[in-house]
Amino acid sequence: MMLCPRCDSKTVELMTKAPVDDAWEVYLCNTCCFSWRSTEGDEIKDPEKYDKRFKINPAEVS
Amino acid sequence: MTFKDLREFLAILEEEGQLIRIEDEVMPEPDLSAIGRAAPDMENGPGVFINKVKGYKYSVVLNVHGSWQNHALMLGLPKETSVKEQFFALDKAWSAYPIKPVWVENAPVKEVKITGGINLFEVLPLFRVNKYDGGFYISKALIVSQDPDDPDNFEKQNAGTYRLQVKGKDLLGILPLPFHDIAIHLKKAEERNQPLPIAICLGNDPVLNFMSSTPIEYFQSEYDFAGAIKGEPIELTKSEVGNLDIPARSEIVLEGYIIPKERKIEGPFGEFPGSYSGARLMPEVRIHTITHRINPIFENLYLGIPWTEIDYLMALNTCIPLYRQLKRDFPEVVAVNAIYTHGMGVIVSTKSRLGGYGKAVAMRLLSTPHGMPYSKIVIIVDEFVDPFNLQQVMWALTTRVRVDKDVVTIPYCPGMPLDPSSEPAGMHTKLIIDATTPVAPDHCRETELIEIPEKTDFWMNYLKNLRQRKGGTNDAMSQM
Ligand SMILES: [Zn+2]
Repeated sequence: MMLCPRCDSKTVELMTKAPVDDAWEVYLCNTCCFSWRSTEGDEIKDPEKYDKRFKINPAEVS
Repeated sequence: MTFKDLREFLAILEEEGQLIRIEDEVMPEPDLSAIGRAAPDMENGPGVFINKVKGYKYSVVLNVHGSWQNHALMLGLPKETSVKEQFFALDKAWSAYPIKPVWVENAPVKEVKITGGINLFEVLPLFRVNKYDGGFYISKALIVSQDPDDPDNFEKQNAGTYRLQVKGKDLLGILPLPFHDIAIHLKKAEERNQPLPIAICLGNDPVLNFMSSTPIEYFQSEYDFAGAIKGEPIELTKSEVGNLDIPARSEIVLEGYIIPKERKIEGPFGEFPGSYSGARLMPEVRIHTITHRINPIFENLYLGIPWTEIDYLMALNTCIPLYRQLKRDFPEVVAVNAIYTHGMGVIVSTKSRLGGYGKAVAMRLLSTPHGMPYSKIVIIVDEFVDPFNLQQVMWALTTRVRVDKDVVTIPYCPGMPLDPSSEPAGMHTKLIIDATTPVAPDHCRETELIEIPEKTDFWMNYLKNLRQRKGGTNDAMSQM
């Protein structure tokens, strides 16, 4: 199962595929609204590697 | 040379050697933001047209405003025009306000209409602007909205630039800053629990983006100002829904509405002070219609640690309103340089009418609508110092300032929350440095300035001509 790299929630959905060439997909977290592209680096896509300074606990956002 | 839209302006940039075309296919990340960072760092920073982005149908253009050369061409001036001369040219054009727009039939932006199955990615080559942004951002939009109490009032219609985060195929997050016009419109709509119709215009005449980044008054129209700067009316047409006035020659217009009384997480986003904003609960926009030109060009903006394109886009347009507001009561003011981080740093040159005049000018600046929250560091120099020439300003600081009486701080004033030094966010301590020569009843030690030798102008021209004939070297000196 795919987790949101930023808030670790399971509410991840496919937002869209590339309009041309099936070049990539874009995913969206329905909890914290983070989105990312499949062609980005692991430090963006992997919850373990996402920079801790930018991790979000959605309950704390006002 | 004149231009009516982005395409015509790009042709001018190309002719002037101020546009580079990339034909190789690039990746959306990290290539597009890297190009956006590199272009303004180049000498005479060019616009960059990227023909093919992996996975997308259409092209991207970056850094259209990102140098003083491109900025001069936008104002219809020779590209080597100095910043100070651009300031005075812009001030002169300002006086032509208002030049009313015209409404046209068969607007190019209506060439293609999409009213169902909206997917922003089909039309826009979206990309992450900075690495830790919360998503892909539309950072160079002109966003049109109307006052719900007075929808037919053309002047109260607002065309502003606000960042937009892509949150779905047809969904965007929006950041309407509380002291901006669209926030007034949204508040009124939400009081009635009504959606606020907006039109998001992309790939515009560069003068329109310039004006939508300008702090003008609530009852003034950005379109009328853009007309004044161009010396001819802007061509407008009506949105498909909501009766909004939109530029007829934009590349792409996204029509939708701000959903009332709902807030979702938006951000962070790398912002103009050179650091990331936080993530906050902000309104969202549902897109229901897209109209665009055939083969639309997606213009977006990279912003990073200054200077990048945004620093040119909100430079002289920040100066002119401040200059005019000061000039009204302090006619001795010669020029205002507020090009540093959206006017957080300001240098004013003025003749002193009486002792302490420099400080009075500074205090007026800090109580103008823009200066009050934004301006933090204010330097006042004599009327013969060019405030756009930092070498001259440093001379004034080093030889005119008596630190014990000329440096003043005012704690706990209104501030700009996006300034990371604003603590608590929204509070500033202001700094005034009066670097003017004291006049009576203030006094200083007797010194006499060295005069400029006779015939200096003659020899300046002589040397310039000689150099041009020899090497054909470009004499455009950046005055930053
Ligand atoms: Zn998340």
